[in-house]
Amino acid sequence: MSLPGKHRVPPEVSPSPSPASRRSRLRPALGGGNRSGTGEPARSAAPAGELWLAIHLPDYILESLCQPVAAAGEAAAGDDAGHVVVVDPGRGGKVVCACGVTATAAGVAPGMALNSALALLPDARVLARDSRRERTLLETVAVMALDFTPRVNLDPPDGVLLEVRGSLRLFGGVRPLCARVGERLRARGLVPRIALTPTRLASLWFARSGIEVALRRPEALAGRLAALPLACTRWPERSLRSLATMGVRAVGDCLRLPRDGFTRRFELQMRLDLDRALGHAPDPCVAFVPGERFAARRDLEPELADTARLQRACEPLLDELCAFLQARGASVESLELRFLHRDAPPTRLRLRFAEPVTAAARIAALLRERLARAEWPEPVRSVRLRSGPLSEARAQPGDLFALDRGRASAVPQLVERLRARLGEEAVHGLCLVPEHRPEAAWEKGDILLFQSSGKGECPLFPSQRPVWLLAEPQRLEGEEQPRYQGALELKEGPERIESGWWDGRDVRRDYYVARTPAGVRVWIFRERRTPGGWFLHGVFG
Amino acid sequence: MNGAVSRQCQGLGPLSPIPDPRSPTSLDDLLRHPGLWRAREQGGAALRPGLPTGFASLDRCLPGAGWPLQGLVEILTDRNGIGELSLLMPVLARLCGGEHEDGWLAWISPPHQPYAPALAACGIDLRRVLVIRGQAAEWAMEQALRSGACSAVLGWAVCRDRQSLRRLQLAAEQSRCLAVLFRRLRDGSEPSPAVLRIALDGDRDGLEVRILKSRGGHAVSVRLGWASFATRAIAQ
Repeated sequence: MSLPGKHRVPPEVSPSPSPASRRSRLRPALGGGNRSGTGEPARSAAPAGELWLAIHLPDYILESLCQPVAAAGEAAAGDDAGHVVVVDPGRGGKVVCACGVTATAAGVAPGMALNSALALLPDARVLARDSRRERTLLETVAVMALDFTPRVNLDPPDGVLLEVRGSLRLFGGVRPLCARVGERLRARGLVPRIALTPTRLASLWFARSGIEVALRRPEALAGRLAALPLACTRWPERSLRSLATMGVRAVGDCLRLPRDGFTRRFELQMRLDLDRALGHAPDPCVAFVPGERFAARRDLEPELADTARLQRACEPLLDELCAFLQARGASVESLELRFLHRDAPPTRLRLRFAEPVTAAARIAALLRERLARAEWPEPVRSVRLRSGPLSEARAQPGDLFALDRGRASAVPQLVERLRARLGEEAVHGLCLVPEHRPEAAWEKGDILLFQSSGKGECPLFPSQRPVWLLAEPQRLEGEEQPRYQGALELKEGPERIESGWWDGRDVRRDYYVARTPAGVRVWIFRERRTPGGWFLHGVFG
Repeated sequence: MNGAVSRQCQGLGPLSPIPDPRSPTSLDDLLRHPGLWRAREQGGAALRPGLPTGFASLDRCLPGAGWPLQGLVEILTDRNGIGELSLLMPVLARLCGGEHEDGWLAWISPPHQPYAPALAACGIDLRRVLVIRGQAAEWAMEQALRSGACSAVLGWAVCRDRQSLRRLQLAAEQSRCLAVLFRRLRDGSEPSPAVLRIALDGDRDGLEVRILKSRGGHAVSVRLGWASFATRAIAQ
């Protein structure tokens, strides 16, 4: 999925000029040689033609905690999310680290003490930050990004990068591509900042600054980057402060500084960042490899107990699952849904499909059956979806004359629907067992497994076998003349069936075909072991 | 005359909506277009040929010269095993036994266990037999009919209300399969939307097949001697 290759250059081979050669020159500036005339730093180390699209999520803390509820509750959800104030429990939980729209309007700001925030907005909902959910949000965005390109990197905690050079033609150019990416994210209720430049860092810096640019020419980078405030680089606070005391506040100011002095005074990483942002140094990064199983959750607000609304609440999760499957060309055979309650233990639903599936509609149909059967001890406050192991998807071939294709392919769907409502055991097939005792001559089979096995050859019996077999032989009245719905008339027989000592179910029977006065043909036997007697074992039907 | 015809032709607009050439489509989808009128789909059930029952005397009494394939067949009997399955075995073997057919045979909440060796001996392919048990027999039967997977569905459902019968009949009409519902004799006095209703009764000599209702046919009674079943068994 990832393309290891040209972009994975080890970091130590950065083509920075050796100190000796640098000292001999006239203090080259950080910004590169285009203006100073020195050749070395200007050499572009970025692989030619890369284009990086950066997605920055400024409100990721809030978005990871408050997922938008279904479209029906849009307005309510919007109001609700506005009142949220998030604190970081890792830092004592007393300082606001993010807040919703209403809270901002009321004067709450990140960095404020929680008590001050509550004083400004008494009805605020205080939530604790959850780094795991932030990571999940980022990975969700990355999975979505895989629809646009196979090369995706994460920049935790709030950035995702896509190398999109190869995708431009497919999506109709830079602008439409950026628009599509933005549209997808906004549909998920996220507020992204998107920037596109030839280098990773430059894209990220633009996106973090909130400037949505689309630059394709590397020469234009230095000029456009110059205006960005240095805060977007996320360099250490101490270094930024000392730069500020020197009057260096924007990236452009930084680029004018002498290269060797800057290297001596500040971290090596900072110089490297500048080189990478300008495309002068290679920028290796680890490709994002999506997880092998799908897991997602969705919190329900308010709590739901109604099956139809639960179904609707699960549908976005299923859509996400299907996008995930589609991105991998994969399918699933089982899913697990966990419905969390306030106090009661979680309700689990396991969906098993008769064959690997990829279509959301089919999963939703099965889910509907299961939800209708499920019993809820309490309203549901959160839904978690986890996929089983993935398998490779098989594409359905299209067919112009799709007249007779329906039958065989409809069976797995029918079976899984019936099983979802009636239970696993309720649907089974039949197969033959080479065995002389009538009750052991057949067994239940898994329908979908023995479709592939060869046709069981028809056994040859000395006499006919009944279509109905009783689960247990039924004792009949009468010693010499058996009676069942009247006196039985023996038509055929006897057929002697004996032995079975090897598994403890020994039999010694003489079977007869008999007919009742009403015309029902039955299969009866006379027990040859003491105490003897007649038994009904089957009905011919 | 000519004028009338041409006016009609003008009245028929173009077939719309025009199918999108890029979307995957099949001839079947095109033929489902409401603007298309297919002669063989018109007319009542009586015109459609049924599947031969395997009993010549019974075939003569049925309007399609056999079991109707579109619509519900009700078989009413109070005694399980009176011969209701022997009556169906020839057609089941034909629908679910031949090498070229791929239809499935569904047994929905049967009163006893269908015995695999006997079915195989009758010529039914066991790989395509589906046994369904459970509470919601009517629902399961409807699902089996609507799925299009089965070529024969045998159901032992109670069907207390007319609505569930009606649903089954509709599902059976839309599917192209043999749908048989087994009920009690006393249910014969109630009205039913089924296409064919047969009451079975027997004695030592043979099976009495009374056709209570037959769409496009007549209510008659046929007597099948046990001998005709016996010869069939030997032929199989």
